[in-house]
Amino acid sequence: MYNSQMPHIDELPTPAQLIRSTLIAAVSAAALLVTVVLPSEYAIDPTGIGRVLGLTPMGEIKVQLSAEAKADVVTRTAPTLQPTVAASPATPAAVAAPALPSEAGIGRSDVMQVELAPGEAAEIKVTAAEGARIEFDWSVSGGRVNYDTHGDGKTGAPRSFYHGYGKGKDVAGDRGTLVAAFDGSHGWFWRNRSGATVTVTLRAKGGYTAIKRVA
Amino acid sequence: MTMSSILSASTLRLVVACLLALIASAASAHGVAEGDQGHVQEVTGVQFVPFVYLGAKHMVTGYDHLLFLFGVIFFLYKMKHIGIYVTLFAIGHSTTMMLGVLTGVAVNAYVIDAIIGLSVVYKALDNLGAFRRWFGVQPNTKAATLIFGMFHGFGLATKIQEFEISRDGLLANLIAFNIGVEIGQLLALSAILIMMGFWRRTPSFARHAYAANVLLMAAGLTLVDYQLVGLAVA
Repeated sequence: MYNSQMPHIDELPTPAQLIRSTLIAAVSAAALLVTVVLPSEYAIDPTGIGRVLGLTPMGEIKVQLSAEAKADVVTRTAPTLQPTVAASPATPAAVAAPALPSEAGIGRSDVMQVELAPGEAAEIKVTAAEGARIEFDWSVSGGRVNYDTHGDGKTGAPRSFYHGYGKGKDVAGDRGTLVAAFDGSHGWFWRNRSGATVTVTLRAKGGYTAIKRVA
Repeated sequence: MTMSSILSASTLRLVVACLLALIASAASAHGVAEGDQGHVQEVTGVQFVPFVYLGAKHMVTGYDHLLFLFGVIFFLYKMKHIGIYVTLFAIGHSTTMMLGVLTGVAVNAYVIDAIIGLSVVYKALDNLGAFRRWFGVQPNTKAATLIFGMFHGFGLATKIQEFEISRDGLLANLIAFNIGVEIGQLLALSAILIMMGFWRRTPSFARHAYAANVLLMAAGLTLVDYQLVGLAVA
């Protein structure tokens, strides 16, 4: 042709060969769809092969993340639905100890605990103004968690606004001082990706006005 | 110190260096991701089969890689030739993909994707005989496949780094991803070859081959422009 020779018709695959190849391809595609793609994408695993290959857990995580993202949009557009610790008995054990008298006249300190079943996530947020310092120390008993320390809910910012303070995977605890980057909510998100139920205990101390479990 | 322990020590250092790069890049990430990226961010340790799947999916759903592959095999019909070119492409992209992630080299995603678009344009022009017409020489098609394969590999490396892959089990997961890329390439190639097989037998192939490569070039240029605009507005 332009950079190569045109083939002679005899050198090309015959129509019968091509039809056979198409059938093989169609059958392979259907088999891959059922045994690999559906388990990996939607955790739909009619044959059980996806689980044997270790693909179904990936599908389950994707389905869960997608459902949580949708629920998040609903919660954020209807702020009155945001559950507080006291008002939502449906949320698993989240106990806030009464605020202790502050030392320097400002701020407070709290100890909160959340129990996380495998796959479950929780988030505790404090309300703090820009520049407020919050000392925190959380630890996990019974396993390890993934975490994402971040802030959101900045006044005037779009709903999707997110400010990251740090994150990690498969850790037993974290401590440090969080300096609020803006007026809004700042806090800790944990997800239990282990196979057993764990308990996260958070100790927070500093110049914040409220603390609650938001998810 | 035995040879193998020296080797494993240097491998470890390489892995640690790349982890630091990964951690640095993670600092600029957004909120909780969904889909494949969300999954990768949630898991730790060796996830061999899931990463094979992700590699294959990236190839099968990556129109830029598919367009280039389509251009490369457009005038190839002997299995021997197809095997040689596809192997060259695989060697090219595997090398830079592994190197890119392990050394933490992150090329700007828009720039690398624009170059990948350019590889499609190049191959279309090559198929049209443009280089011989313009410059009087036919550039080595095997070398071009290998070199552009390397750019495609940097694109893959950039993609993996965006995933914020865990430090735990990184090397095994990378190898799994690479195997997946090759499986995905073979699957996509099979489909392309069957379609081309039908088309090549008809007289319309000779008539439309020129137009098809012009279309391929247009698609490649669209990719280049799309990425350059992305670079400008990002």
